[in-house]
Amino acid sequence: MASQEKATPVNVKLLLIGNSSVGKSSLLLRFSDEQWLPEDESSATIGVDFRVHKMEVKGKKVKLSIWDTAGQERFRTITSSYYRGAQGIILVYDVANRESFDALPRWYSELETYVSPSVVKIIVGNKVDKEFSRQVSYAEGQAFAKRMNSLFIEASAKTSIGVKDTFDEVVAKIIDTPELWASVGSSNKSKASRTTGTDARATSMPGTIDLNDSREDESYGGGCGC
Amino acid sequence: MPTELPYAADAEVSLSFDELDVLKRQYEKEVSQSHVTVQTKFNYAWGLVKSPIKEHQVEGVRLLQDIYRAEPTRRRECLYYLALGHYKLGNYDEARRFNSLLREKEPTNMQANSLEELIDDRVKREGYIGMALVGGAAALGTLLVAGLIRRATRK
Ligand SMILES: Nc1nc2c(ncn2[C@@H]2O[C@H](COP(=O)(O)OP(=O)(O)OP(=O)(O)O)[C@@H](O)[C@H]2O)c(=O)[nH]1
Ligand SMILES: [Mg+2]
Repeated sequence: MASQEKATPVNVKLLLIGNSSVGKSSLLLRFSDEQWLPEDESSATIGVDFRVHKMEVKGKKVKLSIWDTAGQERFRTITSSYYRGAQGIILVYDVANRESFDALPRWYSELETYVSPSVVKIIVGNKVDKEFSRQVSYAEGQAFAKRMNSLFIEASAKTSIGVKDTFDEVVAKIIDTPELWASVGSSNKSKASRTTGTDARATSMPGTIDLNDSREDESYGGGCGC
Repeated sequence: MPTELPYAADAEVSLSFDELDVLKRQYEKEVSQSHVTVQTKFNYAWGLVKSPIKEHQVEGVRLLQDIYRAEPTRRRECLYYLALGHYKLGNYDEARRFNSLLREKEPTNMQANSLEELIDDRVKREGYIGMALVGGAAALGTLLVAGLIRRATRK
């Protein structure tokens, strides 16, 4: 990336994952269009949605392609096909919904199956505007993120608190992670040094077919050409 | 900064051959055991619709129609992918028909609204091309006629 000219934007691929209804699409809409749909007007994502967003981080022009996946179980196989090539993962839960927080380990085991360990991860505790019905404390979210070697932030798509920071932080960290920009092939090194000993297959989500069955390891570094 | 709309995430990118093959094998396995789960059928139909190959798209649309009829709980995604499949096949009226069924139920569904714009754009663009072709043929015709007249009047 050092050879990249300042004027040409860097392509970065981000993926939003997490249970249905935690607010992934709302976060993206707030971030990219500075919009908020009334609660009863938003629809659960079908399969996957996509947005392009240009921004500047650390003096670099960045072209983000953001894949907003559906959290509903029935789309799990479909969405898994979009993990490939992602440099940053935004894992979202709802601070007013304990179940969505408890589901995070399962989302991490999905990640183990599909992305390189050097991919930047950030956990977002969304809906902090619902302070009165909070079920997961800041400290708890933060401790879990630390354990998972991930960034952590609380946000609200409704009030827009923390939304821009979420994207700024992931992208900044991606830019600072040279492994994510290495050419094809060198990514295998990091793959071999996986630390997690848990059996990803056993804990992975029901209804999932591993699209990587053929074990074709594609490039992690190239970013998305879209 | 607004996103470059319209865009349907599943319209452009197709699966790798291996990925589609995984879905196909699962489907065929279940067919051979004469018990096909809706999930498997849907996954395969989606993979087919995403394919750049026309026969795949046609087969994907056919499977989606089946699921739509048999599984009321899967209707919204079937409508969306039926619209997408017909859009890719160039059947814009059908694409609009399915998409508007979805939009009637979910008027603020941004994926459906974006797909609608995509269909409109394509229809408009192909309209221009059509007109250009007709216009071109007319212009060519005029030249031919002019030539004939010139030739005829030369003698
Ligand atoms: N109060 C509050 N509600 C929110 C917030 N973000 C999203 N919501 C609401 O939560 C519901 C689900 O939001 P979505 O953005 O559709 O959730 P999602 O994670 O994209 O869901 P799937 O597409 O099914 O995976 C909607 O009714 C939103 O209005 C937030 O920050 N605060
Ligand atoms: Mg969504």
